[in-house]
Order: sequence, then structure tokens, then C-alpha cells
Amino acid sequence: MKEASHFEEIYQANYLKVIRVCMGYVNADEALAKDLAQEVFIKVWEHLASFRKEASISTWIYRITVNTCLLELRKKKYLKGEETFEKLEVAQEEPYAAKERQLKDMYQCINKLPKDSRGIILLELEGVPQKEIASVMGLSHEAVRVRIHRIKNSLTKCVQNDSV
Amino acid sequence: MTAFEDLRSEWGNQGQPEVPKDGAKQILKKITAVRKKQRITNYVLAVTASVLIAFFFYVSAYKYQSVMIGLLLMIGALVLRIGLEFSNLRNLKNMDVLTTAEKFKQQMIRYYNARTKVHFILTPIAFLIYIVGFVMLLPAFKDNLSAGFYNYIIVSAIVSLGVLCLFIAREVKKELQVLKELKA
Repeated sequence: MKEASHFEEIYQANYLKVIRVCMGYVNADEALAKDLAQEVFIKVWEHLASFRKEASISTWIYRITVNTCLLELRKKKYLKGEETFEKLEVAQEEPYAAKERQLKDMYQCINKLPKDSRGIILLELEGVPQKEIASVMGLSHEAVRVRIHRIKNSLTKCVQNDSV
Repeated sequence: MTAFEDLRSEWGNQGQPEVPKDGAKQILKKITAVRKKQRITNYVLAVTASVLIAFFFYVSAYKYQSVMIGLLLMIGALVLRIGLEFSNLRNLKNMDVLTTAEKFKQQMIRYYNARTKVHFILTPIAFLIYIVGFVMLLPAFKDNLSAGFYNYIIVSAIVSLGVLCLFIAREVKKELQVLKELKA
């Protein structure tokens, strides 16, 4: 019972962090992101007893999130996330506001990145400190800094050129 | 000119879904349901195995050597393939999601490399064993069944094996693509 209420607290405190990262892996398809988030929290529950507080709870959850997304994306249902924005474009005839279009382009550009680069840039966009990203990814702080710099450049270029 | 900081600000300002009110409870319910489903799967497998064994004795397959060997080869090939799938599922379930993303990626690469070996070595062997077993049963089918039913069995077996081959080939292609992406 105590464990369930502890889990409830963790869920409430971290759900938005998790779902926002998941959205980045499935081209902003909310339904798919919710499925991914559910898988993440199932793993959180299964491993809650082994959380030793050596890392912060958010680092621990981000690790589970990035790894679970990588694991689950192999499933067929998540491949349809690739098409989400094309569907929206057809359905909505009104022109997109510039910012919405930019966000759409950003999601599509993120989805063109290799999966581990996706994890890094999504955490960076969420404002996670680089040291924490390094701990989630298992890379040195310096390596993360260099990779973020490269990914930022290619993401910005991709969004500017609309080359999605 | 779109600077990265603009993108970050755009990202931060996007709308976000609400936290489901009873989300945590739903997850605990789902975990219970999954465990129940696993137990049911185990029962179904045990019943299937029992039915196969019972059928083996019911038709007195042990009295006819070629029928017995043929049936054992077919059942053995199926058991081998199903056993491999279960072992793979267990390996997937046991992957350490608490480790760093880099180590996790290496685990996945190892998993898919092992799957490649299964697809290109063990699956063809299981397939061959199954076909040999089936061919060994054909004389018994011919002696005991009508010509129409005998032909039906041959045609349906060829069609089923062809469909199964296509299905496996599609899965293999998909998994090889995942492996390629992981190694990129």
C-alpha cells in the first residue's frame, strides 16, 4: 500500500517529463506517446524497489524512458508515428501559423535523427542539465557537449531548410 | 534565421497533455492483467502439449516407426521454434532498462545479432526438420486417406509453408532494419 502511494507520487511528479520525451520519439502522436509512457511507468513500478538513490529520481526515470522508447519503437504500431504530421496536413486545410509549422518541422527533423541522438536532443530541449544527460546516456560530459552542439546545428539547419 | 534557442522556446511553449487522474492505478491494473494473461498462456501451452501427446497414443503412432519418427520430427521442429521465441521474449523482458542508454543500445545490438543467428541458422533447420517429418508421414496418409483429402493435405501444407516463409522473411527484414539503425 505504501509502495503504491509512493508510485502514485512519482507518477504525478514525472508524467509530463516522460510523455514529452515520448512525444519526441513518435512524431508528436499523443496516443502513441501515452502508450510509451505507460510502458515506462510499468518498468518504473517493476524496478522501484531497486532504486537506490545513487542518482536522482529524474535521472533514473529519464534512463528508463530513453531505454524503453528504444525498446518499444521496434513494434509495428509505433511506425505509424512517422506519418502523423502528413495526416494532419491533409486533414487541416487552414494554413498553419508560423510557430505551429516550425514545431511540426522540428518534430519531423527530430524523427530523422538516429535514435540515440534523438534521446540526447529531447533531453536538451527539456532543459535537462548536460551532466545529467551524460549520466542518462552513459557518455562523458565532454562527449555529450560535442554531440549536443552537432545535433543542435543539424536540427536548426533541418528546420530552416524545411528539409524534412 | 531560426536559432536553436527559438526552437527550444517553441518546444517549451507547446501544449502538453494532462496527467491522467487515475493513471497510476490504471498501470497497476494493467500489470495484474498482464500477469494473468501470462498464466493463461502457460495453461494453454500445457493443454496443447497434453493433447498432442494424447493424440500420439490415441492413433497408436508408436506402432508405426516412420509415422512415429515423422510426427516426432514435426513436433520437435515446432517445439524448437516456439522454445526459441519464448527464450527471445524472456531475453527482451530481462533487458536492463536501468542501465545507461549506451549500454542498453549494446544489449539490443547483442539481442538482434542473436536473432539474426536464429533466423539464418536455426529457423531453416527447424523448417527442414518439419518438412522431412511431413514427407515421412505422406505414405501413411496415402494408404489411409482418400485421394482427394491426400491431395488437399499436400496442397494446403505447401501453401501454409509458403505463407509462413513470407511472414518470417518479412519479420527478418524488419529486424535487420532495426539492427542497422542501432548500429548507425
